[in-house]
Amino acid sequence: MKSKLVFVAGFRDAGVLIGLIIIFGTFAILSPTFLTGPNLLNILQQSSINACIALGMTLVIVSAGIDLSVGPTAALSAVVSASLLVAGVPIPLAILAALGIGVGAGLFNGVLIAYAGLQPFIVTLGGLSLYRALALIYTGGNPIFGLPSEFRAIFNGSLLGVPSSVVLVGTLAVLAWILLNRSVFGEYILAVGGNREAAHVAGVPVKRTILGVYMISGAMASTAALILTGRLGAAEPTMGTLWELDAIAAAAIGGASLMGGRGSIVGTIMGAIILGGLRNGLTLMNVQAFYQLLATGIIIIIAMLIDRLAKRNG
Amino acid sequence: METSRLEFRGVSKRFGPVQALNNVSFSTAPGKVHGLLGENGAGKSTLLKCLSGVYVPDDGAIFVDGSALSLAGPLSARNAGIAMIHQELQHVPDMSVAQNLFLGRPITKFGGIFTDRKAQEQAAADVLHGLDPTIDPGQRIADLRVAQRQLVEIARALIEDAKVVAMDEPTSSLTPAEFEKLVLLIERLAATGVSVIYVSHRMDEIFRLCDSSTILRDGSLVDTVEMNSITRDDIVQKMVGRTLMQAEHQSFATDEPIIRVEGLARQPVVRPCSFAVHKGEVLGIAGLVGSGRTELLRLIAGVDAPTAGQVKVNGRSVPPHDVGASIRSGIGLLPEERKRDGIIPMRSIASNVALPSLPKFSRGGIVHDRRVRGSAETYMREMDLRPFDVNRPIVAFSGGNQQKAIIGRWLAAGAEVLLFDEPTRGVDVGAKAEIYSLIERLASEGKAIIVVSSELPELFRVADRVLVMREGEISAELPRNEMTEEAIARAAIPGTDTAARGVA
Repeated sequence: MKSKLVFVAGFRDAGVLIGLIIIFGTFAILSPTFLTGPNLLNILQQSSINACIALGMTLVIVSAGIDLSVGPTAALSAVVSASLLVAGVPIPLAILAALGIGVGAGLFNGVLIAYAGLQPFIVTLGGLSLYRALALIYTGGNPIFGLPSEFRAIFNGSLLGVPSSVVLVGTLAVLAWILLNRSVFGEYILAVGGNREAAHVAGVPVKRTILGVYMISGAMASTAALILTGRLGAAEPTMGTLWELDAIAAAAIGGASLMGGRGSIVGTIMGAIILGGLRNGLTLMNVQAFYQLLATGIIIIIAMLIDRLAKRNG
Repeated sequence: METSRLEFRGVSKRFGPVQALNNVSFSTAPGKVHGLLGENGAGKSTLLKCLSGVYVPDDGAIFVDGSALSLAGPLSARNAGIAMIHQELQHVPDMSVAQNLFLGRPITKFGGIFTDRKAQEQAAADVLHGLDPTIDPGQRIADLRVAQRQLVEIARALIEDAKVVAMDEPTSSLTPAEFEKLVLLIERLAATGVSVIYVSHRMDEIFRLCDSSTILRDGSLVDTVEMNSITRDDIVQKMVGRTLMQAEHQSFATDEPIIRVEGLARQPVVRPCSFAVHKGEVLGIAGLVGSGRTELLRLIAGVDAPTAGQVKVNGRSVPPHDVGASIRSGIGLLPEERKRDGIIPMRSIASNVALPSLPKFSRGGIVHDRRVRGSAETYMREMDLRPFDVNRPIVAFSGGNQQKAIIGRWLAAGAEVLLFDEPTRGVDVGAKAEIYSLIERLASEGKAIIVVSSELPELFRVADRVLVMREGEISAELPRNEMTEEAIARAAIPGTDTAARGVA
């Protein structure tokens, strides 16, 4: 088991970890507050939403797909569940409704991709507009305020001093790791992404696998929406703009190949933490937001270059 | 001795710890066909890549007409008059024949700003006319048959006025009839003074075509021989470094049918086909490429949807177009294009073996890793996987070992019916013999086996009975004592038995 782990993901994950250490080490030197317990928790909390989306995105990317519709899916989940909460619907039901919308959006994407044979990029690009429009139409473009404090306590509270969003996403990461690396479904995702035709010939239920992956991605988007709604105490129909790109960046830094067949949950989580840490550190140093964007772009490209060089020598 | 057209002088190339080529020297004269022989990994491809400018040798040099080849990449090799015809044809499928022919060296107009499509198509048509007038220069490459695509490659060599044409296993997907055409073409090329370097695993072809051959083993030159003064066995021995046993056919056929194919069809490619395969029997299917053999196997395996007919295994009918159901009924397909349809490249041997059996190897949706590896190790040890490491990604193995893994996949899944499509394509001489004895062993264990092959010696070696397909139909059934090259060719080539005096 150990040798398999090292072979399949180990070297790449170690590379991401080194990148993470270098970036965090640099900030620790430049800013005395960076490497303190509260700030680290802060980084994890700030990264949790992107990490949550990126978990689903990783599975989609491993299956040789892409999901550009995650941000608007989150927005739609957020506004619908928020309006239910404001109308007095019990919290568990509202959460289920949010997840249902995410799974439903994923189902819609997945059916078009797996069964109608459309390209994932285009389908989810359509979804990107579609779900955003639904969220805007549903709310008339206005945010929804006045969510019950019990709801906020669930997603914005803490457990033994750790923010609940970190606990939640950490748990989901463990589940996603088991799913990808230990489950039959995960093996099918890797097979479909690695060689769809060969997977079909070997009896893998290719279409159901693809469908499942997009449904999971939708559910992850809804979960991220719940976390943010809880944190803000409000749901905005414009929530989640550019979330898809952050999630793709985290997955790619973490070692997922956009060609499919390869990706790492551990890597993705570290990728999200790298991006979160970068923003946090630059903010601590009072660097303008424009430069944060610049740094993000540079990190993504450097990560890909290192990946490329490592593969050429390997 | 006359001047040599092409000369390798002390060429060496090392990749990390692997000495891929070690001080290789030989030369060939204008108008000669020179074979390049060796097992997979012997260094043939590396040598060709040095010739075509893809690799730069660490040491030594290559001379064309006495002047050293400048090694500044593929284009400079092309400019020096070297044309490569690759085993896996390298085209841009969505571009036209003419566009592909002039790729990288377009005919331009308006001072090089635009490509002159009309001039290109005209030039292409001029050359193609002598090769195959049915190829339209404006046609997309993707719409051509493999043999036609090969002709396009040869056309490119003609257009570029090549001095040296190197062919890397050009016949791996050609039928005997198409091979005959290729022979004529190569003879024509040679007659114009071109030196041909010909790489092939098929001994027949080497003897038929080549004037001389160079044999490589483990990156070193073993010998350069004249073909008229050497026997086939000597060559194989030089290639392998040991004597291979020439095994005789053994039959384990019973009369107990396992699989029945009843009127199975996918119009218009496969017309209704009916036959049975018995326990322990190896049924060969011969026919031209495009005669529907691969498609028939895919129908039996449930990969494609049939338009009519059904498959029964042990008397129970198998739901059509349902790979999962076919696998549960005990059918396993070993596809011809292993890279495209067979392996999941980045996954380990163990994952590739276990893929169809995962439900069996899991509980509550979680894969039992130890059982997966245990079963893969059992089957792969029996089949002598080399190197023996089931955790390595399958792409890191040779073609023969990949094929063993796919066989292992179906054994692990409990298959009773194995459908081999070109089982030894891309597999070297030593491993071929291994695959044959594996097929025999599977038959002896009571499996029903179908082998589709374009290599007649292969069918003669393993098959108890041969079906011949022609234009989607079974045109003949030949028991072992009636299996001759002539009988198969007559049944395979359209129009030969209806026309009074057909051209074989």
